Amino acid sequence: MKNAAVACVLILLAACASNNSVITEGGSQVKVRQIQTRTYDTLDKRDTLRSVLATLQDLGFVIDKADYELATISATKLQDYQIRMTVTVRERNGERLDVRANARFNETPVEDPLAYQDFFAVLDKAMFLTLHNVD
Amino acid sequence: MAFRALLLLPLILVAACQTLPRDAFRLSESALATREMQTREYGSMSDVQILSASTAVLQDLGYAIDEIEEPLGVLSASKRADATSGIKAVGSLAMDGAKCIFSFLRACDGKNYSKLDDVQDIRLTLISRPQLNNENNVIVRITIQRVIWDKKGRLSEQQTVIDDSVYASFFDKMSKAVFLEQEGV
Repeated sequence: MKNAAVACVLILLAACASNNSVITEGGSQVKVRQIQTRTYDTLDKRDTLRSVLATLQDLGFVIDKADYELATISATKLQDYQIRMTVTVRERNGERLDVRANARFNETPVEDPLAYQDFFAVLDKAMFLTLHNVD
Repeated sequence: MAFRALLLLPLILVAACQTLPRDAFRLSESALATREMQTREYGSMSDVQILSASTAVLQDLGYAIDEIEEPLGVLSASKRADATSGIKAVGSLAMDGAKCIFSFLRACDGKNYSKLDDVQDIRLTLISRPQLNNENNVIVRITIQRVIWDKKGRLSEQQTVIDDSVYASFFDKMSKAVFLEQEGV
């Protein structure tokens, strides 16, 4: 009985370790950037940000913050779970735009490459329609 | 007792390991219908005029503006509102009363009443942009979410609002505000 109780306490402690390490925790920076970034062959920041907004609304997000100058958008999706997402747009070598998205699912960062592939698949379509002036 | 503790383990692990649903970043089959429900087109207006009319409507409805970014046509607003239902309140009070009487006053905990929805936080994003193939028209899309809290302040429900009548009612008020904006009232 004692052992089971001790095991329970240990698991709870491991699950709830709320120390300062979570502030700067994270995986490999280069790998994470790769899966979170997609490059688009355009320099139109406004149209790209509008496509990001349309994508987020299509996926059921509400926009928390949007800044045109800094090209940053933060949004939240509420269902049985909560997803918070930040999308930034940055110029690459004055030729293209990098769109980077990072998401948190409840209390954990989303690191599954497939999740970002899904997101960018929806954004790809929105970008195509925007850049070809199709509503 | 030890057996009971062991039974708890999987429950704890499941709660700690809720995983991202596979469809979290995929368009649902109803995405197009939802987009149509949440979108309206306004003619002969600039997106700035639409944002101005939208702000007026949101103020009429008691919202506070949280975020506005004119170059992108983004406007987010929120309000806290009552979430109680009169019928449910009467029902749960009756159930609590009956439980109290039939337990000879040993179970007068008011549990059913405390689980009732109490308040809701409503958040809304409105995005206006010029129509891509006709710059004179403005496309407006709204998405609404709400979080409902029970009488004890516990999270009861969180959801994206997908209700045709809610969006229709909002756009009805928008049309009037747009008219007033055009008339300069």
